[in-house]
Amino acid sequence: MPQFFMNKRLIILLVSIIILVALIGFSLSRSKLTWPEQFIKDTTGWVQTLVSRPVHYVAGVIDNVKDLQDTYQENKELKAKIEEYGLLKAQVQGLQKDNEELQKIVDEYPSLNDKKLLKATIVSRDPNQWNELITINRGKNDGVEKDMAVITSAGLIGKVKSVSTGTSTVQLLSSEDPTNRISAYIQKDENNKKKNKKTSVFGLIEDYDKESKNLIMTWEEVPDGLEVKKGQIVSTSGLGGVFPPDLAIGKVVKVESDEYGLAKKAYIEPAADFYDIEHVLIVKRESSEGDE
Amino acid sequence: MRKFLIGCLIAFMFILESIFVELLPGDLFSNHILVPHFLIITIFFFSIYANRNAAIIYAFVFGLLVDVVYTEVLGIYFFVFPFTIYICSKIMKVLHANLLVVSVISLLGITILEMIVYEINFLIHLTSMEFIYFLQLRLVPTLILNAIFLLIAAYPYKRIFEKYAGEGKD
Repeated sequence: MPQFFMNKRLIILLVSIIILVALIGFSLSRSKLTWPEQFIKDTTGWVQTLVSRPVHYVAGVIDNVKDLQDTYQENKELKAKIEEYGLLKAQVQGLQKDNEELQKIVDEYPSLNDKKLLKATIVSRDPNQWNELITINRGKNDGVEKDMAVITSAGLIGKVKSVSTGTSTVQLLSSEDPTNRISAYIQKDENNKKKNKKTSVFGLIEDYDKESKNLIMTWEEVPDGLEVKKGQIVSTSGLGGVFPPDLAIGKVVKVESDEYGLAKKAYIEPAADFYDIEHVLIVKRESSEGDE
Repeated sequence: MRKFLIGCLIAFMFILESIFVELLPGDLFSNHILVPHFLIITIFFFSIYANRNAAIIYAFVFGLLVDVVYTEVLGIYFFVFPFTIYICSKIMKVLHANLLVVSVISLLGITILEMIVYEINFLIHLTSMEFIYFLQLRLVPTLILNAIFLLIAAYPYKRIFEKYAGEGKD
């Protein structure tokens, strides 16, 4: 009799492993969420909002009290920054004028640059942290689409992975998913301008290093290419056709050649904090509306 | 009514895991990954002190929920949750159901769960972390975090679930 039971259990185990493999295969190959999933996500999203809003409110109050302690120091720093601000403003005005004129010359071809920002709040975050996902409270009804860029005030944090009616899921840059690639470029160093006529370095953000918490960008080395140094700013290039250009990603921390010496590898410290996120902005593309 | 409350408690743990990760200050994550496993601990205590078969059903339901809502890869937790609960309750049959033993076994359960999920994720290329780093960065800090949670929750859980089981018999 025990023999029989052992067999039954073995069969159950085998069947469930087959189901497991089938389900994983299914979920890796689909491009859109099925409707039961969307329904479950929306419902749980709603319940989670009910719970997480008050909790966030309380946490916010506690943070505010903490902030009060640092106010003096912060005020000093901000004052120093304001002085720089006046200078920047003048520069921006000049640049804007230039830009307008140049835009006229290129005759308004549809650019990824036309973007609209949509505010969203975080509903939940994947506690298992394998594939770094967060859920936000905007969905198809608000015009969110797959692959839109998601930013905070500091910089790019990820892209929309899937959309359901009232919520959508954002994959953070810190996930190790191999399909999570972004075309980026390293901006020219200002001191370097005259010596080197080469333009910026274009490459792909391919990986995330969990140990050092840095993004890894790679590009093919060109003989007289631009030398990349520590501290240079990296932003999206818009070449992939997915993300709008010039969203800040981070700063170069170190550069090295890859194992074969053919490509260069840069470690980039992300500009945005991937942990303390509460509000995000979704970058809506104007041009994408025309496509459908 | 009691049954409903237990369901609510488990559902609350499901939400709490996410809130916990959201609210924890970023500095804590600077060189390790902390994963709260409050949900599986709750279901495991339920399986020991109340009803094993119901616990396995809860494990199926909430495993599926975790898959759909959090990870978006179907099947992993749907399979691993009930499996861990089953293995752990089998181990508990041999051992004495003392609070300390139950806590240690639930930590063992978390280790089994993390290992299986790591292997699956490694196979489907969701992670490229090496095993050593997995142990250092993820498993050990996670176990410490959950041990702290057990310190707080183990005794109340025992009381609640034993009460629930007692009422069910009457």
